[in-house]
Amino acid sequence: MEEARVQRSFPVKPKLKSKARTPKQTAESKYWSSFKTQQIPDLISVPSLTFSPTAPHSFAAAHSASLTLFSAQTLAPTATISSFSDAVSCASFRSDALLLAASDLSGLVQVFDAKSRTPLRRLRSHTRPCRFVHFPRLDKLHLISAADDALVKLWDVAEETPVAEFLGHKDYVRCGDSSPVNSDVFITGSYDHVVKLWDARVGDSKSSLQLNHAAPVEDVVFLPAGGMVATAGGNSVKLWDLIGGGKLVYSMESHNKTVTSICVGRVGRDFGEESNQFRIMSVGLDGYLKVFDYGALKVTHSMRFPAPLLSVGYSPDCSTRVIGTSNGVIYASKRRVKEIEKEKVSESSLFWRVAPLEHTEKKVLRPSHFRYFRRGQGEKPSEGDYLVMRPKRVKLAEHDKLLNKFRHGEALVSVLESKNPGNVLAVMEELVARRKLLKCVSNLDVEKLELLLAFLHRYCTTPRYSRLLMGLTKKVLEMRADDIRGSQALKNHVRNLKRSVEEEIRVQMSLQEIQGIISPLLKIAGR
Amino acid sequence: MISGGQNYVSSAPVFSNDAKRLLVCTGSTVSVFSTATGSRVSSLEGHSGPVTALVVVPDSSTLLSFCWTASVDGTIRHWDFSVPECVKIIDLHFPVFSMVVPSLLSPREENDAKTRPDVFAYVSVQNPNAEANCLSPRCGQIRKCNLTNFHAVSSLILKETERPESLTISPSGKFLGIKDKRKLHIWKVPKVDSDSAVSKKITLHHSKTITVLALHPMERIVAAGDVTGRILIWRGFGAQKFMHSGGLVNGRSTNDEEDKPGVRENDDAESCSTWHWHPSGVRLLSFSSDGAYLYSGGKEGVLVLWQLDTGKKNFLPRIGSPLLYFVDSPDPSLSSISCADNQIHILKMPSMEIIRSISGIKPCLSSQDICEGLCSRAAFDYTSGLVAVQTENYGIQFYSLFANRGLYEVQVCERNHQPVDEVTVVVSLVELSVDGSMMGTVEVKLPEDGVGGLVCLKFWDLDDNKRFSVSTLIYEPHRDAHISAIAFNPTRRMAVSLSYGGDFKIWVCKEEIKQKGQMLQNSGWMCHAVGSYKNKAMRAAAFSADGSVLAVAADNVITLWDPNNNVLVAVVGETLMPITSLGFAGKSYYLVSVCHGSKPQLSVWSMSRLAAFWSYKIQIEAVSFTIDFSYFAVLALLPESNEYAFKGDGIILLFNVTNPTPMASWSVTKAKGGGLAFLKGYPSEQLQSLLAYINGDREYVIFHPHSKEAFELSRIRQDDHVLEETGQFGYTSIYGELPKFDPKRNLTSSISSAASERPWETIFSGSSHMLPPLTKLCSEFLESLLEKKTPTVE
Repeated sequence: MEEARVQRSFPVKPKLKSKARTPKQTAESKYWSSFKTQQIPDLISVPSLTFSPTAPHSFAAAHSASLTLFSAQTLAPTATISSFSDAVSCASFRSDALLLAASDLSGLVQVFDAKSRTPLRRLRSHTRPCRFVHFPRLDKLHLISAADDALVKLWDVAEETPVAEFLGHKDYVRCGDSSPVNSDVFITGSYDHVVKLWDARVGDSKSSLQLNHAAPVEDVVFLPAGGMVATAGGNSVKLWDLIGGGKLVYSMESHNKTVTSICVGRVGRDFGEESNQFRIMSVGLDGYLKVFDYGALKVTHSMRFPAPLLSVGYSPDCSTRVIGTSNGVIYASKRRVKEIEKEKVSESSLFWRVAPLEHTEKKVLRPSHFRYFRRGQGEKPSEGDYLVMRPKRVKLAEHDKLLNKFRHGEALVSVLESKNPGNVLAVMEELVARRKLLKCVSNLDVEKLELLLAFLHRYCTTPRYSRLLMGLTKKVLEMRADDIRGSQALKNHVRNLKRSVEEEIRVQMSLQEIQGIISPLLKIAGR
Repeated sequence: MISGGQNYVSSAPVFSNDAKRLLVCTGSTVSVFSTATGSRVSSLEGHSGPVTALVVVPDSSTLLSFCWTASVDGTIRHWDFSVPECVKIIDLHFPVFSMVVPSLLSPREENDAKTRPDVFAYVSVQNPNAEANCLSPRCGQIRKCNLTNFHAVSSLILKETERPESLTISPSGKFLGIKDKRKLHIWKVPKVDSDSAVSKKITLHHSKTITVLALHPMERIVAAGDVTGRILIWRGFGAQKFMHSGGLVNGRSTNDEEDKPGVRENDDAESCSTWHWHPSGVRLLSFSSDGAYLYSGGKEGVLVLWQLDTGKKNFLPRIGSPLLYFVDSPDPSLSSISCADNQIHILKMPSMEIIRSISGIKPCLSSQDICEGLCSRAAFDYTSGLVAVQTENYGIQFYSLFANRGLYEVQVCERNHQPVDEVTVVVSLVELSVDGSMMGTVEVKLPEDGVGGLVCLKFWDLDDNKRFSVSTLIYEPHRDAHISAIAFNPTRRMAVSLSYGGDFKIWVCKEEIKQKGQMLQNSGWMCHAVGSYKNKAMRAAAFSADGSVLAVAADNVITLWDPNNNVLVAVVGETLMPITSLGFAGKSYYLVSVCHGSKPQLSVWSMSRLAAFWSYKIQIEAVSFTIDFSYFAVLALLPESNEYAFKGDGIILLFNVTNPTPMASWSVTKAKGGGLAFLKGYPSEQLQSLLAYINGDREYVIFHPHSKEAFELSRIRQDDHVLEETGQFGYTSIYGELPKFDPKRNLTSSISSAASERPWETIFSGSSHMLPPLTKLCSEFLESLLEKKTPTVE
């Protein structure tokens, strides 16, 4: 038995648009694009960005001859250190974030108190511009620096003297990192294509391990487990296995220009399969930020910025990402942190649990309140409830109502005024199906005809609509030739129409030319 | 053999006395449907020709269930339809086209029950002698016959008409009438009827051809509809002739003409009024049982309810099909309307809402000739025995061949359907995959004067409720060329669509790609490959049983393709006319092609030799292939000269591909526009597949093609569970069951309540400042006045 069925009334609907074949975003790329970017302008190129390792996670940006500290929460500058004689090249926080070291192009390394910003120590030994300074992660007493004189030095910060010098690089040393698991092990990368692993306990300035990146090394970073390093240089980011004796694991070559900086970031989300996994973020002169999943060995997200990128930083609490560019803009992005805030709130309410209990007695709604009249309307049905659904009402637009009343001409005019080309086409198709379109056109008065001609001018060459509209345009011009001759406004419309049609013909011809060029190639390829 | 697909609307259905059953004439049988569930309960079988009239014997106790039926085979039968069995057969020797039995309707006098008068039926018969002598073209006759003691049809001929006309009787049984072109003839039924009793007759005239008439249940009012959509109502007809017995000529009637407004000439009626709402001919007219309202309907599919005194209208719109009959039931809350699309809707009455539909298979599109070449035939579902037919309102109806009932409908094109409108949108193609899980449809919007026009291809998937829902919609898949065919790959989710424009496209459902490891969320069909062969129009395609070869008919050659890589493998042969149908015979290496036109041809091609194997010059209407074996069946149209020899205009031939001699043949009627399909048999009946033949009128038979004699299939109704109707009607349906009245219990309980305390005497005693507030007292006081019924346990 068939259920009782009366014909419904169908509104005219525009044609469906085709859906994208591939889903727009993966879950992870949704995560990365959930960072809301804002610009911090008016700086001169930013070669280095570094985050404080402790709680508020403020960050320091080196730009020209000064170093500015920013709050990670507001992204506003909190302080500026400008006691530099030359452009600042690199900065580093100590692991407890009490000291801040910065190097400049004069070769001087200065150590500041991070709070008061007073210079505490001046470490002068490099003769050439110093581009790399770094506090080891597990060592509070020493400092590593490297300079364009190809020397790597280990400093005793308190005494302002170099403890050890590591010779071995043959070109500028521009980058390095310390091991997250051992206080004595660190690596440096140089423009001689070589990355060297040093051990401070070995004094004879012989590197424990060396890796050949095959391009000037711009940045090098230890991966969190300490057994692997990632190096950036040229167009590629390479992954090396240190425990396996410096074996190349993978080379990621999705940048088009030199990769200038890399850092390690964590997907700070509590759900999803990629939560709390680490990713390598790389930026390059091509303006791209790429997020590389080194577990799956693939790029999971890619983002473009309108300037060559020089440096990247990612806060340890996963809430802030900063990118420095060569034209002096910092793209700082913050993630919307609703969940975390909620957590905090719930925690605090846990603490104050006793207090709110007194307020839990439900207020009785009185007819004096608006909510009284809406009570129970938002009630959700429970499991066993039998739902009586109200039949959905079909919403009819103005043109639908007119079509239902067989006022075809008015329906056409009303939809032309509504300026949705999809709807206009749907109404035209319905009129064609009722054999009324041409009659409508012939009955339009001059002002409405102007409306129609403006619409035709605008959309008749659009591929989605052209099949119907081209035929209609021809008919309109044939049928209303006398009216068009009589009105200047209509003449203008027709002139515009003619122009757009000519332009379309030109486009088609050039497309055909291209097709003519391509088709022999395809024939050959198909063989 | 299962037959089905009968026309439910060939004549008006009738409700049984308790309104729980609806009797419907279905071809040569009468089907009894349950009004509560809408499913078939039983059928009365016995007539050898189409049943044309059905009269239920009315009975006040609603227990008896007898009915009379009349048929074209010349017999009138008396049935007990509750059992069901035939009680009595009367052979009239004339084909009966309409029958009414007035004496059943008129209230019978109880006292002379013993000397019951004979029951007389008025029949409209076709005079077989009239055909012989061409001089008198009037072959329809209205006659009388005695049903109680039948000897022969009464020689008295009430009226001769050009064609047998249908008789209309007033619900009181006093009058009966027919329409005859522009005239109405109304007879008064004599009080005591006999074979020779002459009924009095009046004639009413109109200027247009009358299509339908109805008689008022109480008063002397007749309503008639004409071809222009007007409804005429004559009040007080027969005032002179019927009322004044004894031939007394009333002086009043002759002199004043102006006293009879609207009545033509010397017609015997007091007044005539005209209502005009219907834009085209009126098809149904019926008075409500109380006589206050008139129902009318026509081609536009709107049931109009007229208030008889004021002419005010009420509507039931959007029924979507021309209306044919409106039938009232003894239950005032039920009635039924029959629509031309083979549906009977049961209406809940005062609100006129459709509560249930008894759906027969929908008839062929009337627009088939408008867009010839575009419309295809019904599609069959091999596995579940369904047939999918296009409907007028741009939908597809799924009809179960085994259960013989409509299952559901899907709307292909979301458009409002008006039966009177010119056809501009057509669902031109429907195709089901072998396992019945995928469907492809094509809808065509015809252009207006070269502007507009659109071809849409839709792919459908079965959803969780085993119903089809749209999966993918493709606009203009072959640019502006029309699609000629769709074929599904039997093994994969792959389909091919062909166009007259000379190219084909292979479509693949994306879910398949997902299985190969890519992560794609939205499943849908997308174009996998495009192919063409010398820009020849393509009209037929078929996949081989393992899905590895695609055969496409390009005009008059067959091209073979590898569908996965879209590579042309081979080109086979050439026929004289374009190939219109193509198929692989089961799992064999043979391909069967069919050509139409002036040189029709049925050819079998061998794939191993890429050459013709054998062929016939024969006009083929339909062809069907088994899935597993190398058999195929064709439905051939016979030349007109052979029709008498074969007793039919078509013949079904069953072939084995390897042998040009047919294995079996059956001759059939109405083969034009028919279809043929192999269906999967019941699991109990081994692997034998069944052959279904559906004729041009969408009636079908299912039979075993291999059994020698006409083996009777046990008619299994899989899901025809007859729910026992617990529905109530009349008073109880509105107010529910009354509590059983038990005088004894009532007596005792009333005594007990009377003996209870009388609080109103004590409630207000005491000083006023001691009294509780009035609001509290009031409820107590009122409560004490109420008579308490103490629940008594019995």
